[in-house]
Amino acid sequence: MKEPSNGGQVVVITSGKGGVGKTTTVTNVSMGLAQLGCKVVAMDLDIGLKKLDLIMGLENRVIYDIVQVLEGECTLRQALVKDRRFPNLFMLPAAQTRNKDDINEEQIKNLCAEMKKDFDFILIDCPAGIERGFRNSIAAADWAVVVTNPEVSAVRDADRIIGMLESSQFKDIKLVINRIRPEMVRGGDMLSIDDLLNHLCIDLIGIVPEDDGVVISTNTGEPIILNQRSMAGRAFYNIARRFNNEEVPFLDLNHTGSLWDRIREFFSKQVG
Amino acid sequence: MILLDFARKKGSATSRSKANDRLQTVLAHDRIGTSSGIMEQMKKEVIQVIRKHIDTEEPEVNLTSRGRQSVLDINIPLKGR
Repeated sequence: MKEPSNGGQVVVITSGKGGVGKTTTVTNVSMGLAQLGCKVVAMDLDIGLKKLDLIMGLENRVIYDIVQVLEGECTLRQALVKDRRFPNLFMLPAAQTRNKDDINEEQIKNLCAEMKKDFDFILIDCPAGIERGFRNSIAAADWAVVVTNPEVSAVRDADRIIGMLESSQFKDIKLVINRIRPEMVRGGDMLSIDDLLNHLCIDLIGIVPEDDGVVISTNTGEPIILNQRSMAGRAFYNIARRFNNEEVPFLDLNHTGSLWDRIREFFSKQVG
Repeated sequence: MILLDFARKKGSATSRSKANDRLQTVLAHDRIGTSSGIMEQMKKEVIQVIRKHIDTEEPEVNLTSRGRQSVLDINIPLKGR
């Protein structure tokens, strides 16, 4: 994967189930990659139910949308919204008053081919579900990230999505486990990282612990990655580094729950 | 709190292990597009076929996963003379 000589990489962020953190992942990983010096586009393909502009805090800068680009009403350059904080980060908004049938796979492939020339990463925020919007979102992707939560229905949907990606010839599928609560795992009341990896059998690219700061950051439109003191912010930054081919160790959450483990965890600086 | 965790682990199965068991079954079925109700029916049919030829005990029919592949595990003890 990740051949810089081919121009940029298109990565689809998907999950099956809604509400597991796809848009949060796209937002924070895009911003992390921009911090690392990459030229990045975050693209919202949830036509009709857009949220990336809001989560990135760029809703007031939106003028055009992706459907207008595809229908030739404006140029790609006009529609790309420049981030306030990073000059090398852009967002391509979805259309709120249109629907998934207004765009097709061929159009997305052409659009991504054009953007690959100018950008290192194009991250696609895929809509929930397995229908047209999902098909459009994976059409141009070089590899895929599946976001899930340690919860049975999210894992079941993730498994279905992985199966569909595999039958669409995806060779490189990575897992982000979002909203894990290590203390609940230790107490025997939450699926662990290893449990999820055993069920889903794909490689891990990130572990994001539950963090109240995420709610606050969506309220203010300041993505959590901008707060490097937060656990989730650091976890997303580590995911961005892994996107960028850096080897970054994962936090070992599989403690036994002994006092020593708790002390060690308290002083540990590493996060997933 | 630590004591409480300890007591729970010693006691009945945790909700985490129940979640794992349920996922194991449901994913094996999802991957091949069947439901768990089909297993009972199939069990009856399998034993009918076998019993035409040889005497058997009650078979165990389980759908499990090996990696991302669903595996049908049929175990049929045969009756000795």
